[in-house]
Amino acid sequence: MYYADAGMRFSTDHKAIGLQYLWLGLFSAFVGMALSLLLRFGLAGRLPILADLAGAPQRNGTLAVLHGSLMVFFVLTAAPQAGFGNYFLPLQIGAREIAFPGLNRVTLVATVLSFGIIAASFFLPTAEAGLNLWIIGVAVFCLASLANAVNFSVTVIDLRGAGMTLPRLPLTVWAWFINALLSMLIFSILLASSVLLLADRFAGTHFFSYSMRTYLAVPAPVVPAAFLEAVQQALWQRLFWFFAQAQVYVAMLPCFGIVTHLLATFARRPVWKERAVALALCAVGVCGFCIWGEHMFSSGLNPDSPLVFAVLAASLGLPAFVLVLSWLGTLWKARLQLTTAALFSVGFVALFLTGGVSGVLLARSDIARVAASSNFVTGHFHLVMGISATFALLAALFFWFPKMFGRRLNETLGKAHFGLTFAGVYCVFLPMHWLGLAQTREIPGGPLASAEVPTFISVAMMVTIAAQLIFLWNLAWSLLRGEKAAGCNPWRATTLEWSVPSPPPPGDFGATIPAVYRGAYEFGVPAASEVSGCFREDFRPQYLAPDEAAAT
Amino acid sequence: MPGKSAQHDIELIIEDVGGEGGGKPPRRDGGDDDADRGGGGRRDSASSPQRRYYTALAVGIVAILMFFMALASAYIVRRGSAAEWTAIHVPAILWLNTFMLLLSSATLEFARRKLAKGDLAAFRNLWMVTTILGVLFLAGQYVAWRQLQAQGVFIATNPASSFFYVFTGAHAVHLFGGVAALFYVAVRKFEKAKISRWAAAEVASYYWHFMDALWVFLLALIYVGR
Repeated sequence: MYYADAGMRFSTDHKAIGLQYLWLGLFSAFVGMALSLLLRFGLAGRLPILADLAGAPQRNGTLAVLHGSLMVFFVLTAAPQAGFGNYFLPLQIGAREIAFPGLNRVTLVATVLSFGIIAASFFLPTAEAGLNLWIIGVAVFCLASLANAVNFSVTVIDLRGAGMTLPRLPLTVWAWFINALLSMLIFSILLASSVLLLADRFAGTHFFSYSMRTYLAVPAPVVPAAFLEAVQQALWQRLFWFFAQAQVYVAMLPCFGIVTHLLATFARRPVWKERAVALALCAVGVCGFCIWGEHMFSSGLNPDSPLVFAVLAASLGLPAFVLVLSWLGTLWKARLQLTTAALFSVGFVALFLTGGVSGVLLARSDIARVAASSNFVTGHFHLVMGISATFALLAALFFWFPKMFGRRLNETLGKAHFGLTFAGVYCVFLPMHWLGLAQTREIPGGPLASAEVPTFISVAMMVTIAAQLIFLWNLAWSLLRGEKAAGCNPWRATTLEWSVPSPPPPGDFGATIPAVYRGAYEFGVPAASEVSGCFREDFRPQYLAPDEAAAT
Repeated sequence: MPGKSAQHDIELIIEDVGGEGGGKPPRRDGGDDDADRGGGGRRDSASSPQRRYYTALAVGIVAILMFFMALASAYIVRRGSAAEWTAIHVPAILWLNTFMLLLSSATLEFARRKLAKGDLAAFRNLWMVTTILGVLFLAGQYVAWRQLQAQGVFIATNPASSFFYVFTGAHAVHLFGGVAALFYVAVRKFEKAKISRWAAAEVASYYWHFMDALWVFLLALIYVGR
C-alpha cells in the first residue's frame, strides 16, 4: 500500500513483510471488533436484523470463536511479534536482513492463508465442518509461527552487528527473542495436538474424543441431540481456550518489551533495573512454557479451566511484579513527555495493573470456580490481555510511524483517540467484573445485577468502537498528508533504527553498518554537556562512538 | 592499549561482561579498537554467513523434538491410563528398515569424510547411496503400513494402532524432508548458492542423524509399550 516502490510488495525485504503483517493485524482488528458488536447485540437481541444473523445459539458460539481467533492470532500474536518484530528487529541489532528472507516471505503467505482458512470456517454450513477447517487453519498458523520463530532466533543469535553484545540489546529485542524461543516450544506442542485432533476428526481415532466420552460417561445414543449440540458448542469454546492459554504469554511478551522501551524513551531516563527486566522477560517465558506443558498432558482436554486460570494468574505474578516495579521506577520523578505513544504506554501499565488485581481474585479457586465462564473472566482477560496488548500495539505504532512512513501521526487526534478509548474500555470491561461477581455471590436483585449495567456496557462499547474511527481517520490522513518527520530521530531515541533515514532504504543501513558502543538506554546524561559542551543532548545513541561523545 | 591504567582495563572488562544499564555517566575509554574489544559477543556476519544455517538447524531440532515429545507424552499418558490396551503386532520389516536407516547414517559419515578430503566423486557416490537408503526406508515404512492393513489393523482400530500410524507417519514426513535435503546437496552445484557445499552437507547430515536417533527412540517406545 505504501512502499518506496511497487516492487516492494512481494519482496523479501523484512520491512515490507513486517508492514504487511501490520496491515493484516489492522484488518483483523476491525473485523474482530465488528464481530464483537454482532455478538453483543446478537446476545442482547436488541437489534432484530443482527439477532437474525447471529441468533442461532450455535452461531453465537462460532461467532465468539471467530472473534477470539482473529483477535488472538492475527492481532495479538502476529502484529507485535511478526509485524513490529520483522520491521525493527534487524534494524535494532544492526543487521541488513533477517536470517532467511525467502522463508520469511513464505511464512507471511502461510499466515495470510491461515487467516483465510479460519475466516472461511465460519461460513461452512455445519459447526462440525467449520471446526475441522478451523483446526486446519490453526495448524497452518502454528507452522507459520514456528518458521517465524526460527528466523527470529537465528537472526538475534548470529546477525547482530559489531559491538551489539547481549547486554546492549534493546529490551524490545530481548522480548522478541525470548518470545521466539517460547513460540518455538509452544507452537510445536500446539501443532502436535492439532495433528492428533485432526486424526480424531478425519481418521476416526480417539485421542481426544476418548476423554470426551469418559467425561460424559454415557453412550452416545442415549444423549439427546440438543445436549450433544451444547457439548459441541462447549467444545468449540474449550478448544479455543486450549490454544489461547499459551497465546497469552506469546502475545504479552513483545508488548512488555515495547512498553519498557517506550517508557524509558519518553521519560528520558534509563530503564530502571534493566538487567532485572531482561531476567523477568526470561522468567515469563519459562513460566509460560512450564504451565502450558504441565496443563496439556496432565489434564488433556480437561474442562477444569478455572484451575488453569488460577495457575496462570499466579505464575505470571512474580515476573510481572518485577516488570511493573521497573516501569514505575523508570517513571519515578521523571518528567514524562506526554506524547500519544507515551500515553498509550502508560495506559498499558494501568490496564495491566487492573487486570493483575482482578487476576489475584481469580487465583482464589473458590471464586474462580464459579466465575470461570462468566462475565468476570471475560472482563479480566480482555483487560489484561486483549486491550492492554492493543494499547502496546498502538503505542508502538505512534512511536515507530515516523520511521516507517517518514510522517507523523497527528498528536491531537491521537490524544483524543487515546482518551476516549482508555475511558471506554474501562466502562466496558469493569462493569463486566461486577456482573460476574454479582452472579458469583448470587445477590438477587442487588444493585449490581440490575438491568442497567448491560445497557451501560453496550453504550460504552458503541462509543469506544466509534472512537476507533478517529484512529482510522488519523491513520489514513497521516499516511497521505501527515506532518513530515524532522530528521532521522524525531523522538531523540537511542537505538540503531533512528540512525537511518525514514523510511529506511533497502538494505537498511548505508555503506557501513554503525558499530554499537553502549547500552540501549543512556538517557538523562547531564555530564555529556557539562564536560566539554560538545554533544548537547540528554541521551547517547548506541552508535555514538566514545570519542565523538567527547569531542564532537 | 599501552600506557593506560589498570582501571581502564577493568572498565573494558566490565563493558565486556555486561554494559551496566544506562544510567552511568559515559565512559571515557576512547580508542579505535573499542568497538572490537567492547563487542564480546561480536559476530562478524560478513565473514561467517554460514553460521546461521547451523543455528537454524539447532533451533529447528529443538522444535521438532518438542513436537515428538508432545506425541510421546500423550502416548505414555494414554498407555498408562487405558484399561483396555490391544497391543499391535510390530511388523518384522521394521527391523530391516531400522537397519537400513542406521546404515545410511554410516555411509553419510563416510561421504562427509570424503568431502573433507576433497574427493568430490567418492563423496557424490556415497551421498547417493545414503539418499537411496533413505528412500528405501520410506518405502519399507509404507510396506509395514500395508502389512498392518492386510491384518485388518487400521489407524482407527485401537489406541495402539492410532499411535503407531501417527508416530510412523509424522516421522516419515520429517524424514522425507531429510531425503529432500540429501537430494538437494547431491544435485546442487554450489557455485551460486548462499550456503557452501560443506555447510549444506554438514547441516543435512546432522539433521539426518537426528532423524535416525529419533526413529530409534520411537521404535523403542512402540516396542516397550506393546
